[in-house]
Amino acid sequence: MATAGKVIQCKAAVAWEPNKPLVIEEIEVAPPQADEVRIKIVATAVCHTDLYHLFEGMPKDGFPAVLGHEAAGIVESVGPEVTEFQPGDKVIPLFLAQCKECRFCKSPKTNQCELGAMVGKESRFTCKGKKVLQFAGTSTFSEYIVIHQIAVAKIDPAAPLDKVCLIGCGICTGYGAAVNTAKVEPGSTCAVFGLGAVGLAAVMGCKAAGAKRIIAVDLNPDKAEKAKVLGATDFVNPKDHNKPIHEVLAGMTNGGVDYSVECVGNVEVMRSALESCLPAWGVSVIVGWTEMFDIKIRPPHLISGRTWKGSMFGGFKGKDGVSEMVKAYLDKKLQLEEFITHNMTLDQINDAIELMKQGKCVRVVMSVSPE
Amino acid sequence: MATAGKVIKCKAAIAWEPNKPLVIEEVEVDPPQEKEVRIKVVASGLCQSDLYFLLKDMNKHLFPLILGHEAAGIVESVGKEVTEFQPGDKVIPLFISQCRECRFCKNPKTNLCEKGSVGEHDNIANSRITCKGKKVRQFMGTSTFSEYTVVNQIAVAKIDPAAPLEKVCLIGCGISTGFGAAVNVAKVEPGSTCAVFGLGAIGLAAVMGCKAAGAKRIIAVDINPDKAEKAKVLGATDFVNSKDHDKPISQVLTEMTTGGVDYSLECVGNVEVMRSALECCAPGWGVSVIVGYTNLHDITARPIQLMTGRTWKGTLFGGFKGKDGVPKMVKNYLDKKVKLDEFITHNMALDQVNDAIELLKQGKCIRTVLSVSPQ
Repeated sequence: MATAGKVIQCKAAVAWEPNKPLVIEEIEVAPPQADEVRIKIVATAVCHTDLYHLFEGMPKDGFPAVLGHEAAGIVESVGPEVTEFQPGDKVIPLFLAQCKECRFCKSPKTNQCELGAMVGKESRFTCKGKKVLQFAGTSTFSEYIVIHQIAVAKIDPAAPLDKVCLIGCGICTGYGAAVNTAKVEPGSTCAVFGLGAVGLAAVMGCKAAGAKRIIAVDLNPDKAEKAKVLGATDFVNPKDHNKPIHEVLAGMTNGGVDYSVECVGNVEVMRSALESCLPAWGVSVIVGWTEMFDIKIRPPHLISGRTWKGSMFGGFKGKDGVSEMVKAYLDKKLQLEEFITHNMTLDQINDAIELMKQGKCVRVVMSVSPE
Repeated sequence: MATAGKVIKCKAAIAWEPNKPLVIEEVEVDPPQEKEVRIKVVASGLCQSDLYFLLKDMNKHLFPLILGHEAAGIVESVGKEVTEFQPGDKVIPLFISQCRECRFCKNPKTNLCEKGSVGEHDNIANSRITCKGKKVRQFMGTSTFSEYTVVNQIAVAKIDPAAPLEKVCLIGCGISTGFGAAVNVAKVEPGSTCAVFGLGAIGLAAVMGCKAAGAKRIIAVDINPDKAEKAKVLGATDFVNSKDHDKPISQVLTEMTTGGVDYSLECVGNVEVMRSALECCAPGWGVSVIVGYTNLHDITARPIQLMTGRTWKGTLFGGFKGKDGVPKMVKNYLDKKVKLDEFITHNMALDQVNDAIELLKQGKCIRTVLSVSPQ
């Protein structure tokens, strides 16, 4: 492409400070170096983890940054020694890399690539002469990004980028938590706490795994309908009950659920999710993100037989999982359209953020560059 | 036997109140009712869980009670409808029953039993033991600090008649709990690296289990350096004393093992140690099993510890289903695949139970076996 080897000036939404609106700026995106790929981002969505960085975690050295980690795009150019990708490939950037060489990549038990830490360490973005951090190594609220090839997944050229962008985070995170991490078994009873995109994807995963009963839990009764579309058999609003939620669920299920998935990111809910499981064999998976508080439980809850786990990106290895999930969508085994409640452009990102903060959307897909 | 069908007057160590010495008293033990078995207790171990309820939990409403849940004995008589046992059988009472009928018994994933999980069959209304006219709680349903006890048949395991009762009594709790935590619950894999925190009987049994499962490296952790030797006899490859280091123990272990252990077992019952045991596991696949018991405080951890792939579990009785697991462990001992003698540091009589308690409180023994009745 004409831009290969040159700095690209393009549009991006920059977070200059914590807890402030993003600003649409012109940034400079350096060409890819060895083992790197420059990608034109076509579509991206806002995920709660972007908001966590901006409004909750707010690390002092985390700004200025370009947020965004759930996207799909097209390779614009590749750096030296890149053989896996070429210009024109449809790709999804990965916040969780897959180098395929480290001991974690070689183990089927995990997706925690050791080399993933190198992704995004040295930013290729500048704005007004300042280095701007590439959040999660992906920074997809930008028309172009540069990323290490171990953190890019090639996808089927038939895939519609404005849909499969969701596979870059929320869908895999929730669906995989049920299928890969909890390992939901057919005929079982599940509870999913939190019905944002990740929770709805977990409901979808529980259904795909053959759960007989899927209890969707949320404080917002408006969330019930979509949960049922995706497979929930029951909806419970903790506010409707005087008893603690784990007692309500235990009462509904002869002692507790077989699997619970926490998709909120709140340590009290994580506790309730574990306590809602049946003592003998219940498994609870933490999916929602927080680094601000500890989880807590009384030891007898584990001693009597429950298992506590967690996962990132649904336990999917980045490259393998993403291409598998895109294929599942194209084969109609996975739903994505139901998650997309709004379509906007990158310029409207602060509106998208507001909708997310108020819980008034599931996913807002923003078109970033034309395909 | 001559005593069948009659009340037996015999000796027992009664805990009248929390945090007080036990008192040797004469008690009356009713004959077994339907589906019950009356057992002459020959030998009993003393376990930290007995002390936990006597000295830490101290729930007044549980007292008076007879402690003891790690024992072996001989069936004296059986109640109606008992076909599995007959007088003279060598048995081990189970603090977790195995009815074989409930949904838990039918599922290989758990050793809980809905009919009689811990605490349910020690309801004082069902006690068969009285002292000075008062019903005394059969703590954990077993009450083995008594020459005779009555237990529902779903909570009794029949064992090989060749088994020496003064040794295999330990299979009634400590040995199975620790060994099973490694083999059944953590599911230690050959070639792996393990850490065991706390080298009392349970921890040493966990070390033994890790070795039986083929672990390549077993790091035994304790704040008492005297515990190192026996840990190594049972298979530990390393010993670490947390007090020898300024750094947190989880960091010491992570550095010794290029990132963390594959399996860790907490055999202390302390929530800080439980946290350290989780944190010293490798991300991606580390599994930490809580074996030590406490219900006095919360365990706490950062969510990211689980999200990066560690698994937190816990276990009662090492995940063994009672009637199935206990005879197997007894057979393992007879086949020399499981060690017991190394665990027995003291032998005493039931009368000396308070001395045995002192030794355990001070960490100066592994197991004291109390001979309760002659065989």
